Amino acid sequence: MYEERFDKRAFDELRPMEAETGLIANANGSARFRIGNTEAIAAVYGPQEVKPKHFEKVDRGIIVCKYDMMPFSVPDRAKPGFDRRDMEISDVITNALSRAILLKEFPRSMIDVRVYVSQADAGTRCASLTAASMACADAGLPMRDLVAAVAAGKIGDSVCLDLTKEEEDFHEGGATDVPIAFLPSKNEIVLLQLDGKVSREDLKKIIEMGKLGAHKIYELEKKALKRRFSNES
Amino acid sequence: MAQLKNYDIVTPGELLSEEGDGGNGTYVENGKTFSKYFGMLQVNERGASVTPLTGVYKPREGDDVIGQIVEVSSKYWVVDINAPYYTRLDSRDVNFRADIDDLARYMQMGDLIFARVFRIYANHAADVSMRGTKYAKLPSKMITKIDPMKLPRLIGKEGAMINLIKNETHCEIVIGQNGIIWVGGDKEQMNLAISAINLVESEYHIPRLMEKVTEMFENVRRKI
Repeated sequence: MYEERFDKRAFDELRPMEAETGLIANANGSARFRIGNTEAIAAVYGPQEVKPKHFEKVDRGIIVCKYDMMPFSVPDRAKPGFDRRDMEISDVITNALSRAILLKEFPRSMIDVRVYVSQADAGTRCASLTAASMACADAGLPMRDLVAAVAAGKIGDSVCLDLTKEEEDFHEGGATDVPIAFLPSKNEIVLLQLDGKVSREDLKKIIEMGKLGAHKIYELEKKALKRRFSNES
Repeated sequence: MAQLKNYDIVTPGELLSEEGDGGNGTYVENGKTFSKYFGMLQVNERGASVTPLTGVYKPREGDDVIGQIVEVSSKYWVVDINAPYYTRLDSRDVNFRADIDDLARYMQMGDLIFARVFRIYANHAADVSMRGTKYAKLPSKMITKIDPMKLPRLIGKEGAMINLIKNETHCEIVIGQNGIIWVGGDKEQMNLAISAINLVESEYHIPRLMEKVTEMFENVRRKI
């Protein structure tokens, strides 16, 4: 049984968050997103000429995404470089972003998205996706909406929002981790993965809870973007 | 969204109105208008429109730009004008007589040119031209890049800001509408002009920027 969370949060409470944009001078757009002990930094270059040339699409632009964990981001050193897990996460980020970005507006060009995780405590793909979408907006790309992503799940018998690593590894009763990404103003799901075992009814509850969390993240994203151009700062 | 007003900053996906009456920088979905860019809102009787605050240069016909030659072919030069796509400068579109098959004699890779965007194709490709007396190859001095969305601030009201920088530093300054700025003059004065341009870029959203730039020049003069 899991009655109280390890970090004494409520079951539908997110970890403390922080967001910032425009921190990398050489990129067209950049953002940093931190949730609890997970932190992702994203940089967007482009739209620019497609390299290699044969990836070019005549009717739309393409997104090339690279996700990487920094060697010091986890207790055991993460081997630098592109491994199978990085490849998978890069792919899901690309798929989610191509639903959000209006790629038809810049045919024959490429958007280079780079995401680095500087600290990892579960939910890195969600944090990366959130940071990447903020960086895309900061780069001035035409978008349908920002992407807000959060992990929800079931630990023991209780449905939880924003799992930590400690909770993901919970043994008694098993833990299920469901990363979800939304386009909050459209109410569309752009990423849904499931790691573990869960019944149909519980999955619905988990998605509902993820939606609540995503809306909170969306508000923070909007605030972080607007803060850059307010006169008070 | 009645509380939205002119000059508000909006983010992509923000609901602008319940009717499908959006202008530039918006899109309509299910009869409602949403913002497409992270930008500044403008509302008038025709509906809402959004001007992006950041972003890369999008070539438009008639823009005067500064570009760099990246490739020399037998009949044309390929020019990088800081846009998503490279553009082409045909050997017939220059203001001197160019013998084809030996174009590298006139302009080589890495040379800077001042040219005009004169044709945009349906697939967003563009051609530049150097016909006209004001277009020329630029001698290699210093260039700096700023966000093209911030150019109006650098120029100022009727060129007030750029004339201030020109007068204070006695530099020649050429502004390309693609955000590339060419500065020519005395070495120390060039550095001063470029630091003034960088100041405008980093603080372009604050009011009374002219005073701040004047102050910077005065501080420098006091040190000398």
